[in-house]
Amino acid sequence: MTKYFTRDNLYYFRRTLTNPVDSFYEIRHREQGSVPLALVTVFAFSLCFTLDKIFAGFIVNTVDPRSVNGLTDLVSVFLLFGLFSVGNWSVTCLMNGEGRLKDILVVTGYSLMPLILTYIPAILISNVLAANEEVFYTVILGFGVAWTAILILMGIMTVHNYTLLKTLITLVITLVAMFLIIFLALLLFDLLNQVYGFFFSVYTEFSLRG
Amino acid sequence: MKRFLKPAVVAAAAMMLFLCAAPAALASVDVPYDSYTYNYREYVEYTPAPYIPAGSVTGLSLNIGEFRNPQDISIAPDGRLLVADTDNDRVVIVNAEMTEALMVIEGFDNNGTPDSFNRPFGVTVSDRGLIYIADSLNRRIVVLDETGLSAVQIIENPQSDMFAAEYVFTPLKVAVDYADRIYVISRNVFQGLMVFSPEGEFMSFFGTINVQISVWQRVWRALSSRRQREVGILFIPTEFTGVDVDDDGFVYASCIDPLGEQAAFRLNPKGEDVIKTGANGNVGGDLDWMPRGAGTYSGPSYIVDIIIRDKGLYSILCSRRGRIFTYDFEGNLLYIFGGMGAQVGTFRTPAAMAHTGDKLLVLDSGRQEIMLFAETEYGRLINEAVGLRFDGDERLAVDLWRQVLAINENLELANVGIGKAYLTDGNNSEAMKHLRLGMDRTYYSVAFKRYRNDLLKENLGAILTVAVVAALALYIWNTVKGKGGRKGDLLADD
Repeated sequence: MTKYFTRDNLYYFRRTLTNPVDSFYEIRHREQGSVPLALVTVFAFSLCFTLDKIFAGFIVNTVDPRSVNGLTDLVSVFLLFGLFSVGNWSVTCLMNGEGRLKDILVVTGYSLMPLILTYIPAILISNVLAANEEVFYTVILGFGVAWTAILILMGIMTVHNYTLLKTLITLVITLVAMFLIIFLALLLFDLLNQVYGFFFSVYTEFSLRG
Repeated sequence: MKRFLKPAVVAAAAMMLFLCAAPAALASVDVPYDSYTYNYREYVEYTPAPYIPAGSVTGLSLNIGEFRNPQDISIAPDGRLLVADTDNDRVVIVNAEMTEALMVIEGFDNNGTPDSFNRPFGVTVSDRGLIYIADSLNRRIVVLDETGLSAVQIIENPQSDMFAAEYVFTPLKVAVDYADRIYVISRNVFQGLMVFSPEGEFMSFFGTINVQISVWQRVWRALSSRRQREVGILFIPTEFTGVDVDDDGFVYASCIDPLGEQAAFRLNPKGEDVIKTGANGNVGGDLDWMPRGAGTYSGPSYIVDIIIRDKGLYSILCSRRGRIFTYDFEGNLLYIFGGMGAQVGTFRTPAAMAHTGDKLLVLDSGRQEIMLFAETEYGRLINEAVGLRFDGDERLAVDLWRQVLAINENLELANVGIGKAYLTDGNNSEAMKHLRLGMDRTYYSVAFKRYRNDLLKENLGAILTVAVVAALALYIWNTVKGKGGRKGDLLADD
């Protein structure tokens, strides 16, 4: 357990918030990142995401409580996280990126930290807000989103040793790659389904004639 | 994760169970149709029946021979019922108890010469008791005196620059306001209602419906050539289908909205639409309908008539699914009932509506029958409570809303009504509870602000004390810790 969450790991995890370029450099080149820690962060983010839907104040909360499902949220957040990481990895591999899959996972996971840090106060504050004051809630969340976006940008830039422009271009291509992966996955699923269907009908045919 | 989710899941499951159980538990009166309303999230919520069938009136029950394709009914100020029996070319006057025909007008005295109707389509009675008949294929409006025997005025062949050259006046529905101005819905007139002065002069068009073009249609039009545009479909506003005038001279009119969003119009004396819409911004009938083409039951509500009832209430009639929608003056949907079928209380081709006392009348031109609907306890409570709100006696309505809640716990309107009353009484926490159940964010927020202020005012001393003590403690802690020397951060000076 302690192997995955050493003092150094935690220190750089914390430092990511304030000195992203430095700590992402350390993570890439001095093995200071921890994938389990990143996964825990993603899990915590998904938890906050669900909690916001359930416990955000009545004034700001338009989500139908019947539609909230924490497991669905968890699965989709992890899927998106994995999809982004794999998509980015497959693109940067071809574009002279220096980062390994491990680094990308760590960077993306750590970068969600600001969102967790802003979700919790936002949920608390939203419960003491009246109409016309929703802006506090929105601004806090918007701040978190912007911070996370900056962290991801800097992280990807640092671990791959890219320029800003190249990072932006890779991010766009990553998006395309993500869609491609989804498309291929669906295609594969459909084909497998048809193969299964074929064998199933062959089996049915034989068993009925048998 | 599970610890947080379980309550939510259980609550959701319980809510679903309640929603499903509601209609069965409350169907104390067996009616041949669904009664429901839409809640804040636009889910159908079944309610007890606000109105139940209370018999019907046919030509046979009145001993005057079957009605044939009757198109309009109207209630006179003295409670008598007038029926435009269109294909029989007659107008029938029925007594207030709806038991016998007082008079069958097949002809009338037109300035000394006997005259008759040709497909009388619409009928109405003015405050002074004059009978206005839209005599459609005679292309005129006949105004009969109180006795119904002789014409006092005939309006025909209106003249104006605004008409197209080949225009033929075919009046379908007619309404009269307190100043005897006449509002006419005429076939193939897309500019709105036609308004006639008490002297029978055409004055103007009134309340034109704006054409709605979707984004897709706009793109398509932009891409097509001029020639294509010339021969393509015209974007013509829909025609009005029903019209009624309230005591203040506001004209209510219904139309068929292809989007199902606004079927009711409230036109001020300038002809501008001033209708209020409720929380969901919709006064167009059903909210969730299958797209067109998914069977005869699909598509937006097809609103064929509108009536103004007491205290700002109004009802619209859908002939596609045979439903009657009732809204209050703020555009809140109160209740929906009615359906298609062959039983008493269901329709084949509903065409027009009227109301008298606590009864609603729906004319079915296909079944040649007038259905009567009587208010139930549930309907009466809602009508009265909304009426009190209309009069500004919101606090008196609380008792009624409570009784409504006892019958139908899910009604958001009742919760809002109670919440608002608590708010005026200054009981903020109770107000918050009910307004939250009623999903009214605006008023909830008002209550919440007051509640928050009260809480702060009461506890200001305690809050300030805690804050000062905490600040002091923090200061002392920092000083003490500072003496011990700061623990160096790991790799602080790397």
